[in-house]
Formats: sequence, C-alpha cells, structure tokens
Amino acid sequence: MENRFEKTLAYALGAAVFLLLANAFPFLQMRSSGIENIMTLPGTAVELHREGYTLLAGLVLSAIVFIPAAMLCAIVSLAVPLRHGRRHAWLVPAGRFVYAMSPWAMVEVFIIGVIVSLVKIGELAQVIVGTSFWSYIGFAICFTAALAHLDRLSVWREIEAVQT
Amino acid sequence: MRFPIDSAAAEGLACCHVCYKLVPEDRRQCPRCGSRLHLRTAASLQRTVALLITASVLYIPANVLPIMTTQQFGRAEDSTILGGVVHLMEMGSYPVAAVIFVASVLVPIGKILVLSWLCWSVYRRHHWSRRERTVLYRVTEFIGRWSMVDVFVVTVLVALIHLGGILKISPGAASIAFGGVVIVTMLAAENFDSRLIWDVEAAGDG
Repeated sequence: MENRFEKTLAYALGAAVFLLLANAFPFLQMRSSGIENIMTLPGTAVELHREGYTLLAGLVLSAIVFIPAAMLCAIVSLAVPLRHGRRHAWLVPAGRFVYAMSPWAMVEVFIIGVIVSLVKIGELAQVIVGTSFWSYIGFAICFTAALAHLDRLSVWREIEAVQT
Repeated sequence: MRFPIDSAAAEGLACCHVCYKLVPEDRRQCPRCGSRLHLRTAASLQRTVALLITASVLYIPANVLPIMTTQQFGRAEDSTILGGVVHLMEMGSYPVAAVIFVASVLVPIGKILVLSWLCWSVYRRHHWSRRERTVLYRVTEFIGRWSMVDVFVVTVLVALIHLGGILKISPGAASIAFGGVVIVTMLAAENFDSRLIWDVEAAGDG
C-alpha cells in the first residue's frame, strides 16, 4: 500500500524537474538562409499574444504547462500525507482538483502536435530539436506514470481512511 | 422519475460523481469529498444539447476562416484546416495528413453526431444496444481532447517560423473557433450522464 504513493511521489517529483527544464531551454530551433530562430515553451504563448491572440495563448499555456503544473502540486500534496497515513486539510480539495483537471492537461496531445509541426516545417527550413523537447517528453512519461499510480477509487478510500 | 429495479437510484442511493461513494440520496453533500450529490446529473440532456449546438455553430467559422497565414517573400497565403490536410497530402506525408484529418475533421464531427444521437435515443427512451451505446459514449469522451492537435500545430508554427521579412506564419481566427469547438464538445461529453441510457428499463417494465 505504502509503495503506491511512494511511486506516485517519485514520478511526480521527476515530472516537476523535467517540466522546469522544459521551460528553461530552447524547445525547437530553426535555421534557414543564414537566419536562426529559437522557440521556447513559454515563448509560444508570448508569440501568440504578440499576434493579438491572447485568449489562445492562455488556452495553450494552460493546457500544456499551468494545469499540469498545478496537478503536480496537488498530486504531491496528496501523496505526501497519504504515504504516512496522516490526515491533512488539503487532501480533499487536492483530490477533487486532480480528477477534475485531468482531461484538461493535454501533455501527450501537445507532443503529437509538435511532431506534426516538425513534418510541416521540414520542407521550409532545417529544424534542430532542443533540450526542452526531450525534457518535455520525459515530463510527459513521468506525469502519465504518476497519474496512473493514483487510482481514483483507492485514493478516495485512503483519504476516507485517514480522516476517520 | 422511476429508476430500474436493480439500480442504486431505486434503492435511494446516489453515487458521488467525484469520488464514486454510494450515499443515501437525502444527503445533500458527499460525506467523503464534500461535493454536491445528485441521483443523475441535473438537466443532463438539456445541457449536453445546448453545448452541442454551440459546438456546431463554432465549427462553421473554424472551417471557413483561415487557421493560419503564411507570409513568404511578401506574399500572404491563408490556409484552412482542410487546406492544411490537402497540403500535407501533396507533400506526400500521408500518415500526418491522416492524423490531422482524423483529429480535426472526423473526431469533432463524430463527437457532435454521436452525442446528439445518444441524447436523442435517451430522450426517446430507446431500449436496444444499451451496452454498445455506453461504450460509444466512453470512446467519445476519451478521444475528445485529441482534437487539440491542430491548435498546437498552429502554436508551434507561429512561434518557430519567423525569419525577418522572408518567412512568417501568423495565427488565424479559425484557431480560436476550433479551440472553442474542442472545449465545448469536451464539456458536452462531461455533462452527458451515461447512466440515463440504462434508466429506460423502468418504463419498459411498468
């Protein structure tokens, strides 16, 4: 039983590190006719905002960074007390948050989007995949694994058990 | 409303939609997670249909307006969602064209049609193939988020392709409309209560 939350916690912390790295380095880099352009993960939203599509920028950044990051915080705050069988005031809100938000975190969908973009750009310019790209893939794997070890029914049973 | 004899609702038990705890329906709040309790999602069909109509309306600008504009050597070229698929096919990238076609055309249209049909069948209290309809609902709910692929493609292209005055890609209005379609259809699927498919038994038996 204890092992399960340990795994969740490990994957969630791993995902947090990968997500930080993914935001800190170049995601993709393109080179064509002697000009270079670097795209970072937060830079995607900045560019959309500059084009006047602030709503879309917020939507995209929420789906690929903010919601997953908030879910990671909630997962950690679930796993830490439950691992020791302790009760805590934030267990119930954190549990509700994680399961309500999980359809809106579109981490894997974004990766497919990036791969499709790479094919589309292929004809226009040379593209170099950056450190952040690989970090984001690592983040996606850890994030999915952390959620997979957080079975909805047993988590709520556990929360109920520590609260009574 | 009457419920089938073998359902929890007939026994006066409500299943919490957040933590799945079975609670007597006279309780207003789930004792475990504190969310509001309902036997069935309130006004499920009305909400689903309203969101489906919104999605259908948004789907028109999403396909008619350009999703992005490519400026190359001072020449601007608009491309729509379907135009993007055709372009990928001309490039010979059939698998990628298939991904975009499925995610941006088949899935949103399929979702709207399937959910409308499910609402209609529940409204008309149909009896047949309840298990198949439940599976269909689950699939619809699961694949909904994958439609976002096209919006992310536009995001990446806009952020990356920027070469002074030579080459530049700008987002188009369809990107917002299409993002809206995805969000609204996801909400529609969330508001549809699949247990309603199974509630017709009472009427049939009595």
